[in-house]
Amino acid sequence: MVKTYIFRFLIAVLTSIFMGLLYMGIGRKFMARIRRCYAGPFYQSYIDVIKLFSKNSISHNWIMDFGVMMGFAGIIATVVFLPIGPFNVFPDMKGNIIIIMYFMTIGYLGMAMGVAASGNPNATIGIARALSLMIGYEIPFALSVILLIFANRSSLLYDMVLSQHGSFLNWNMFRYPFAFAGSLIALQGMLGEQPFDAMIAPAEIASGPMVELSGKFLGFGFLQHASQIFLETGIIAAMFLGGGTILGFFTKQLILYLITLSIAAVFSRYRFEDAVKFFWIIPTLLVLLQLVIFLA
Amino acid sequence: MEQKELIEHIEKNFKYKKEIKVIDGKQFTITVEKDKVLNLLSFLKLIDFKQLALITAVDWIDEKKFEIVYILFSYSHIQQILVKTFVDRDNPQVETVKNLWDVASMYERDVHEFFGIDFIGNDDLRPLILHNWKDLPPLRKDFDSLKYSNKMFGKFKKDEEI
Amino acid sequence: MILSSTKELKDKGFEQILDFFRKKSLWMLHYCTGCGAVELPPTMTSRWDMERFGMGPMATPRQADLLLITGYLSVKSLKRVIYTYEQMQEPKWVIAFGSCPINGGIYYDSYSVINRLALYLPVDLSIEGCMPRPEAIIDGFTKLMKAIEKGEAVGYKKYKENYEWYKKNQREVLERTTPVL
Repeated sequence: MVKTYIFRFLIAVLTSIFMGLLYMGIGRKFMARIRRCYAGPFYQSYIDVIKLFSKNSISHNWIMDFGVMMGFAGIIATVVFLPIGPFNVFPDMKGNIIIIMYFMTIGYLGMAMGVAASGNPNATIGIARALSLMIGYEIPFALSVILLIFANRSSLLYDMVLSQHGSFLNWNMFRYPFAFAGSLIALQGMLGEQPFDAMIAPAEIASGPMVELSGKFLGFGFLQHASQIFLETGIIAAMFLGGGTILGFFTKQLILYLITLSIAAVFSRYRFEDAVKFFWIIPTLLVLLQLVIFLA
Repeated sequence: MEQKELIEHIEKNFKYKKEIKVIDGKQFTITVEKDKVLNLLSFLKLIDFKQLALITAVDWIDEKKFEIVYILFSYSHIQQILVKTFVDRDNPQVETVKNLWDVASMYERDVHEFFGIDFIGNDDLRPLILHNWKDLPPLRKDFDSLKYSNKMFGKFKKDEEI
Repeated sequence: MILSSTKELKDKGFEQILDFFRKKSLWMLHYCTGCGAVELPPTMTSRWDMERFGMGPMATPRQADLLLITGYLSVKSLKRVIYTYEQMQEPKWVIAFGSCPINGGIYYDSYSVINRLALYLPVDLSIEGCMPRPEAIIDGFTKLMKAIEKGEAVGYKKYKENYEWYKKNQREVLERTTPVL
């Protein structure tokens, strides 16, 4: 019994990393085509990760090692609760969305601990911005979660997916379009794409949280970002696009990611306090409007 | 004021020995003795030459003199004045003008570093641009830049010779 | 004896595989003091599209594999370049742009610009030209990639082995106590 769980756990984690890196590679290609470039092959991200793990790396103290590991582990632990299409790691848990929202912050907190211990002020500024931005996008996202919990009388992602079966018109995307729009903007913030990339700002604070990470630490950061892409697009795909078969699920994730990237390609960067203000006004009002329509 | 009126005004009101030379319609030079520079500059500041654009120096090695040039600009007259004075090359000293313009302090540091001219009264003449400089000030004419470069950074050799 | 040699052989084979990945993903840090900085944006963006080779700009020395010295180096900036180079993690490479880091270029008689970068840092590749056009830069990059694949680009090992020599040269310039002339 335990063995099967471990096996399923490994499958979920490896899938998330593999698919996340694939999305990243395809995303880079996509961005390059928007800019009329060609970019590298779609498997460029895998090469990058292998190279990063083959490099020497420098650690300043054990908290840095521990924090980076915790950041990675936090995201992996969240992926376990995400129903990947019909596949659930723990068939009994069925992806409680509240647990997922709770666990998602652990990744950021671990990263915050690790990079703050690296002692570079730019890293601290970057992670402070990331955490402040989280206060911004969590509110519209949490509101749309509340909406769906109301609508389904259940907090399980699995139930939300079940309720959208049948025609694609049953998808929550069409039932609750305003909430979907709000969550899509929140997704933009979660993935840290433009215009909400004040936390990495390469020219300004030298890539923020990653400033002092080298070699394998940056490799873990890369893997974490890959899993994060998989997780966050996965949550939105399950909540609003009706999950689906495994292949369908992956396709929906990829489409969501590409939408995010195409928004990112045309925007410049918000200052992070403006970004938080924006999150609290536009997407929050959109989701609230949907909530009012739903309750009325 | 037009340039002509301006020169007349200066001739009339600034009594010390001076030499005025017109360069073109927008700029002219005034050459004065070393100890009258401060008087002239404060006088010019009074007649609205408010901006000190630059302090620089020229090394006249044959005449054994440094020429110090103060470039002033006026936004109301749209005129540029180059105030020039000569100091002895062996004992280059001149009064500071940092009490008239704050920015002069920086220019004087610069001139001190590259020509070795002392500005009496400016106590902040630390090195500004050069790193760990131990030789003659580099913009003096008797400083051999090529020789320095070859000795310090090595003459270019082919790979086999290294 | 046999054991160690097989281990060496294995290590060598493993390194060769890793070198393949390293050459495919060179992240660069450009130290833009000179005019070469102007040639880099067209190389990076759509006209010459450097990303085809998996290269990209990085923000900090910790993340980068490749240090580009794009032009002349004054003594003051040499100090910063050495800091930057030593912060980078191995394996790392240095590319010098243009003629200034080779022999001083038009600054051959300047009192503040160094003449030969190879005395202070191990330069893996010099791209000549004043300044090299993006075609020349891309050509240089592909040459470096070939050298990495063959295991010939070992500047960072040379730097470690001849550390004393490099440090002596650096100290001569940076921490001098007596006049030169």
